[in-house]
Amino acid sequence: MPAIRSHFHEELDALELDILAMGELAERSVGRAVEALARNDRDEVEAVVAGDDEIDARYLSVEQRIVELLALQTPVASDLRLITSMLHVNLHLERIGDMAVNIAKTTRSILDLPSSGAILAHIQEMSDVVRPMIRTAMEAFRTRDLDLCLRLPAMDDPVDRLNLGMYKEVAALAGDPDALNWGLRMILIARQLERVGDHAVDIGEQIGFLLTGEFREFTDASHPVHLTPDAG
Amino acid sequence: MERDGSMTDSVVMRASDLENWSTGAPDGARVRNAPAGDIEVVDLNAWFGNHRALRDVNLSINGRAVTAIIGPSGCGKSTLVRCLNRMHEEVRGARVEGKVLFDGRDIYAPDVDPVEIRRRIGMVFQRPNPFPTMSVLDNAVAGLKLVGGLSRSELRERGEWALRAAGLWEEVKDRLHEPGARLSGGQQQRLCIARALAVEPEVLLMDEPASALDPASTLRIEELVQELKERYTVVIVTHNMQQAARVSDWTLFMLYGEVVEFGPTSKLFTRPDDQRTEDYVTGRFG
Repeated sequence: MPAIRSHFHEELDALELDILAMGELAERSVGRAVEALARNDRDEVEAVVAGDDEIDARYLSVEQRIVELLALQTPVASDLRLITSMLHVNLHLERIGDMAVNIAKTTRSILDLPSSGAILAHIQEMSDVVRPMIRTAMEAFRTRDLDLCLRLPAMDDPVDRLNLGMYKEVAALAGDPDALNWGLRMILIARQLERVGDHAVDIGEQIGFLLTGEFREFTDASHPVHLTPDAG
Repeated sequence: MERDGSMTDSVVMRASDLENWSTGAPDGARVRNAPAGDIEVVDLNAWFGNHRALRDVNLSINGRAVTAIIGPSGCGKSTLVRCLNRMHEEVRGARVEGKVLFDGRDIYAPDVDPVEIRRRIGMVFQRPNPFPTMSVLDNAVAGLKLVGGLSRSELRERGEWALRAAGLWEEVKDRLHEPGARLSGGQQQRLCIARALAVEPEVLLMDEPASALDPASTLRIEELVQELKERYTVVIVTHNMQQAARVSDWTLFMLYGEVVEFGPTSKLFTRPDDQRTEDYVTGRFG
């Protein structure tokens, strides 16, 4: 029998491509923000802040188009799951873009302060984990790969540990007011990267819903330990 | 043909019985002194001459719930629903094999009177078909008049009850003696629903009841269906998938005379089990 909603499905495909592109932009923005910090690079800081406009514009466009599809096309079944997943993933990516901006703006405020190579390496290590997490989540979306989604909580574990370890490292700077001032900002930046990891896990949960029709939290913020999806 | 006593003498809800409804069941479910209205279809096949319109249909329709039947044109939706009250056999050359158990009794058993079955399992059709010159009130009680045995005042009372049950009373209470044909299309369809309800059925079969109506009238019919399921088993055939999603508790998807999938409407429209259902409801074929 003939396909009868080809226009609608073409629009769904176009939205998916836009969201995948947004994923690349958001991931790159996080990387550039951490690089600006590592290199103490003011121009790169400003480039990250300015670059967020494109992510925001894409976010608004995707959201508007999704609302129109919901209103006009009354999607059901896998189409409905895809649309609601994209609505959430879109917001998570926009928030990741905002976190890159927060990192850049925090960096802007401490460009003239003394830094710690060890702590910068610590931040870089976090970035080196959360950026692949974003890529993994988006690849799971692109390829509809549930196993890939389920890897995200384990990938997030070291991010949480690194974030907690940051407090101890910054406390060691207590003897130098300028260094401590810089270090306190590093706690904020580590926190942003930790949140980026959480958003990547949340994206994975949305892909899980898209693929299975059941929404399950991969991790539970109200409990100190991770719950695996199978443990419910 | 000998009538079966348990079928013809079974408890039929009277208008006054409405007052006797209670919510005494532990789970708060409504109960009444009438069968549950469950329908069990077993190995049902139907033909128009040599054309096999239904193929080995098996399903259980829950009483006092709305079941929607969807599927592309020619899939057997209307044939199935017409088999549920023995209307199919009225077509020349049509025949049925298999069983339709209504509250546990096969409506195709040789001792069952099809006329009585059609009273207990009423039907509303696609196009409103009131008797055009008959008054609104007489239309509502037309079926009762055929049965006979009721006084004018009883007929008036039952007519008012049926018109109220069909959500039409407030609009026509001052026009009861006008011809039914003067009502709007949506009102005429609700008048036909009143006519079906007046004979106190247990099941209401609706074959595309809103497809000839404007959007506002369609929504009124859909609201009415929601109210009717409190008292009746409702089976509705519809081409409009969104209508099925809005009004039904259960949805049956048919293709080429076969049942492809039958399940809770919320599941069928969010994560159907069968790829053919998925493709149909998402418009990947039609």
